[in-house]
Order: sequence, then structure tokens, then C-alpha cells
Amino acid sequence: MIRYVVRRILWLIPVIIAVSFIVFLLMELAPGTVVDAIQSDDMTTEQREELRRQYNLDKPMIYRYGLYMLNFAQGDLGVSQVSKLDVWDVFMTRLPNTLILSFSSLIIGSAVSIPLGIFAARRAGKLADNAVTIFSLTGMSMPIFWLGLLLLLMFSYKLGLFPGGGNREGIRSIVLPAICGSLGMIANTARQTRSNMLEVLNADFLRTARAKGVPEKVVIRKHALGNAWIPILTTIGIGLAAQLAGSVVIESVFAWPGIGRLAVEAVTQRDVTLVTGVVIMTSILYVLVQLIVDLLYAFADPRIKAQYIKYAKRRKRVV
Amino acid sequence: MNTTEKNNDEMTLGAVHDDDVLLEIKNLVVHYELEGETVEAVNGVDLTLRKGQTLGLVGETGAGKTSTALSVLNLVQSPPGKIKSGTISVCGQDVLKMTPKQLEKVRGKNVSMIFQDPMTALNPVMTVGAQIAESIKYHEGLSAEESVNKAAEMLKLVGIPRERAVEYPHQFSGGMKQRVVIAIALACSPQVLLADEPTSALDVTIQAQVLDMMRDLKEKMGMALLMVTHDLGVVAKICDSVAVMYAGKIVEYGTLNEVFNTPLHPYTEGLFDSLPNIKNRNVKLKPIPGLMPDPTKLPPGCAFEPRCRYATSECKEVCRKHTFGGSHTVLCTRYDDPEFHIELKRRDRQWQRD
Ligand SMILES: Nc1ncnc2c1ncn2[C@@H]1O[C@H](COP(=O)(O)OP(=O)(O)OP(=O)(O)O)[C@@H](O)[C@H]1O
Ligand SMILES: [Mg+2]
Repeated sequence: MIRYVVRRILWLIPVIIAVSFIVFLLMELAPGTVVDAIQSDDMTTEQREELRRQYNLDKPMIYRYGLYMLNFAQGDLGVSQVSKLDVWDVFMTRLPNTLILSFSSLIIGSAVSIPLGIFAARRAGKLADNAVTIFSLTGMSMPIFWLGLLLLLMFSYKLGLFPGGGNREGIRSIVLPAICGSLGMIANTARQTRSNMLEVLNADFLRTARAKGVPEKVVIRKHALGNAWIPILTTIGIGLAAQLAGSVVIESVFAWPGIGRLAVEAVTQRDVTLVTGVVIMTSILYVLVQLIVDLLYAFADPRIKAQYIKYAKRRKRVV
Repeated sequence: MNTTEKNNDEMTLGAVHDDDVLLEIKNLVVHYELEGETVEAVNGVDLTLRKGQTLGLVGETGAGKTSTALSVLNLVQSPPGKIKSGTISVCGQDVLKMTPKQLEKVRGKNVSMIFQDPMTALNPVMTVGAQIAESIKYHEGLSAEESVNKAAEMLKLVGIPRERAVEYPHQFSGGMKQRVVIAIALACSPQVLLADEPTSALDVTIQAQVLDMMRDLKEKMGMALLMVTHDLGVVAKICDSVAVMYAGKIVEYGTLNEVFNTPLHPYTEGLFDSLPNIKNRNVKLKPIPGLMPDPTKLPPGCAFEPRCRYATSECKEVCRKHTFGGSHTVLCTRYDDPEFHIELKRRDRQWQRD
């Protein structure tokens, strides 16, 4: 088990190298540099040249990349090229906001989608099931930013129920972005739950359970859900990871000061260190979330757990 | 010791209603209503099972054996399945008229079932011990700990070490899973046991072991057993009466001796003819020609008529039942003619019990 975790974490190394290289490359290809963002109009050409030299912009990209990775290897994410603040600190002050928003979306999303999926599965082929399917497909094909704008237009500008952005009004300010984030997830998770439940509801072992005289409620909750929630868990894990990745869009639409918006700000200022730092940290988070989900999965399903623990237990029994 | 006490109790209870009849199926009709067509799986089955009796229900695949057994638990998959008519009384109560609550009390307690496929019949994420304990918990009101203990006892009874109760189904071999399925069915000492091909998923040696075990357990617990199978060897080994099923109907019914020594129905004859003869390997096998009719398009008369070498034009229209010697019944119009008999030569086959 530990070996598995270590192996998964080691996989992060190539991921980080690839991701940071791609970020550097894209930033290089994009027009403009950080100097354009920080220069003032009254600077002389010499001063600008001096600035470019400071940021090593006169050297090839591969040199800057090498320098960055050298620092990174020593655990240093560097400082923001624009604000001169430590990238790690900036990221960590923004991260809680993103986590709060992601988990709110996740909780709303799961609380709605899982019962919805079960409901649809138990009425498979009937009107209610079709309604859920149509709802899911609509939700899945709706662009998040457009949905966000609609929500803002409706509940903020027209009805004035919720603030139009930011995070200064406590629970009131999180409602719209959390709902917006959950909708995409609801569609996905509801469909997954439905198909997993359907599969399980037709399983032979439910018939065995009923034949034993187990009450129907227990058959559904313990036997059916006990099997169906394992793949559902994965869907939720993917949902959380998708929330992290999707934070760029939602946080921009709702002016939510999290890491997604931080990344957008950094890109507009061509702040290569900050962008790379945010992207690397987000990738690490993403991979860790996936790892945790996989481990939960293993603990929930004895068949998969057996693969991790391998022969350790069996050997014990023989002795 | 516990079980003998229980059985005595049940004996006195059983005496309250008529005789020793534990299971009585009357005119059972089960259809599967699919889009655009209806599978007529069971078409008017009558069966009676008495205390201590072992009835073999034989027939080829698709004959409706499993559907009949599932009906007894009122567990026919619905949709598409539907019990169109009939009554099924288990220990004097009609299971088809029960509320879900009443059914939960009867299932696993008065009647339980060993399912056909042990590979899929067990819940993969529950330990086998917990799966056996479950029915004990619901029916005998024991505490969780006592149920688990008794579950481990049941495992031992079917020949699996107690310690393995904490393991999951994937850690068991097919034969052991089948034993677990049997242990689940027997956990609350049911009066009626429906065994749906309990050995067809097993290899021959294990098959014999499991059959022996079931026969012992049956005698120990004194229950009535409905043995669903398409294996006449299994029937010969443990049954005392036989019902031959074809296209959803019982075409022949009688004691083991009657059916095996003087089979009456041409289909039964075909079944015996298609078995290899151990004593004389030169006797050629005579498999029944043709296939069972499509259960969505059953003919109005005898369903076996297209494959029957004795069939007359009348067989297309009607199918009458005849009784011989009191209990031996056959569903065949040709017996209208008192002279009619099938040709099966009684070969010296070994249908013996060991
Ligand atoms: N859930 C179902 N949906 C539709 N048709 C079904 C269903 N279950 C059974 N049938 C049909 O009902 C008929 C009888 O099936 P049943 O399972 O009772 O046969 P069986 O005698 O048990 O066969 P086997 O020896 O293969 O187990 C078959 O034609 C089968 O296709
Ligand atoms: Mg069957």
C-alpha cells in the first residue's frame, strides 16, 4: 500500500516538469512580457533594457526555465515578478477561498445528484427518469461561464438577492458561484449514479438478499448502494478535481479571489513565476485529490483492496 | 441440538394445517411481458411438496424451472415478469397475496432458495459471514454477535472453516461460493428449500460432495426440498419424486420409480434416450430432434408435438392429462388410446443411490 502511494507521488515529478515547461513555452509564445506590465511611460529605453536584463529576458527561454527548475528543486517557488511577493505565500492566502467554493459546490452537487440518480434508476424508463436524463444532458452541455452570467443577471442584478461578485458578504456571496459550480457536476454525477444503480439493481445478489427476507429498504441502502457508491465516489472525486480546474472560469465570472482568478491575473500581467507556481501547485493538488479518491476506493471495495495488500494477509493465514 | 428443538416446534405447527403439505402450487402462470412480445415461461403448473419429500424438477434450459421456483418466493423480476394467475401456499399461507412485510417474514424463514449461479449470487462487498448472519438477524432476533457466531457455525456445517467467515466472496473458489449460498439458504432452517441447479456450476467431484452434503442436511433438518435440475443423475441420486417440465408445463409427474422405470411421456423418453449408457457404450445416443418451441409463440395443443415421433394431428389441437396408478400423471393426448405406449426399452441403467 505504502509502495503504491510512493509510486503515485513519484509520478508527480514528470507531471510537474511537463506542466511547467508547457507554461513557460506558452508564456514565451504569447505576445508581451512582464516588462510591458510593470514599465511606466516615463522610463527610458535604457531603463527598459535594464529591466529586461533583470528578468533574464535577453537570454533564451530554456535558460530561464532551467533557472526556475533549479530553484524549484530546492523547494523555492520564487517571488512574483510583479508584486515581488513570495509565490508560495500568495498561493496559500488564495487557496482557502478556492477550497471553500469547491467543497460548497461539491456538497450541493452530491446532495442533489446522488438522490436524483437513485430516483431515476428506480424509475428507469419511466417519465421521471427521462426528465432527469434531459436535465442532465442540458446541464452537461451548458457552458459554465454562460450559466454564471445568467445566474448573476437573474439573482443579482434583477432580483438583488445576492451580491454580484467577490467574497465579502459571507454565506450570501458564495451561493451563486457554488450553485453554478455544482450544476455541471450534478449532471455528470446524476448520470453516473443512475447507471451504477441500474447495474446494481439488476444484480443477482440483490435477489439473494431479498430471498433472505431482508427488508426492501435495507436491500437498497445496504446492498445496492453499498456497491454502487464505489464508482460514484470516483465520479465525485473527478468532480472535485474538475472544480479545481474549473475554478478559473467560475472565479473570473464571480470575481471570487481564489487560485483560479490568481492564475488569470498572473497571465494578464505575464508574471511567469506566479503562473508557473500556481499551475504547479494546482497540479499537485489535482493529483493528490485523485490519489485520495483511489485510496478511498480501495478501502471501500475489498476486491481492489486485496490487490494492494497483495499476499501479506494470505501468508499470515497459512502460518 | 438447537435445530432439533426447532424442528419439533415446527412439526406441531405444521400439524395445524392440512397434513404435511408444505408447498402447494396451483395453476401457476408466469409471463414475461417484453416490448411487443410475451414470453410464456410457466403455463399452469401444479406441484405439491410434503414434509421430508424431495421433488426433482427437470427440464431443458428455458423450460421455466427457475421462474417456477422464483414465484414461490414471489421474486419474479418485475417488470418484465408477471405472475398472471395461480396460488402458491407455503406452510398454508398464500405468498402471492402477502404484503411486502409478510413476505419478508416468510422468505428465508419458511422457504428459502439456493440460486443457480453462485458467482453472482453473493454481494461482493460484504463478508460471507455477514451475508449468512443477515437472515439470522432478521428472522431469529439474535444480537449481532450471536448472529455472526451462528453464521460461522453454518459455514462449518457446509464444510468451510469458521475463520473464513471474515473473508469476502472473491477470496472463495466457485465450489466454496456455492456452499456459502447453501449456508445462506439453510441459515434459519427453512421448512421448504428450493434448490435451483445447486451443482451445475461445479465440477463433478465437488458436485457429488455438495449433493451428499445437501442430502445429509436435508435429513438432519427434515425439510422439503424442490431440486431444480436438468441432470437426471442428480434426480436419481437424491429425489423421491420427479416432475418433468417442458415449455412451462409439467408433462409428467410421478415417484422416482414410476418415472424412471416406466416413463410415460415421449419427452421423458427422449430425455432418457439422450443419456449415455454406461453398461453398453454401443447403444447409440438418440438426442431429441429439434428445439423447444419459442416461448413467445406456443402452439394451442401440445408444445412437444413438433418434436414427437408419436404425434397425431389431434396433438396440434389438444393436450389431455392422464393418470396411472393413482399418482403417476402424464400430459399426453395419445394416452386416450388405452393401447398406446412409448417404445423406450428399459435398459439396465444404474439409477442407484449410494
Ligand atoms: N427476466 C426475464 N426477462 C425476460 N424473459 C425471461 C426472464 N427470465 C426468464 N425469462 C424467459 O422465461 C423462460 C423460462 O426461463 P427460466 O429461467 O425459468 O428457465 P429455466 O428452466 O430455469 O432454464 P435454465 O435451465 O436455463 O435455468 C425463458 O424463455 C427465458 O428466456
Ligand atoms: Mg434456471
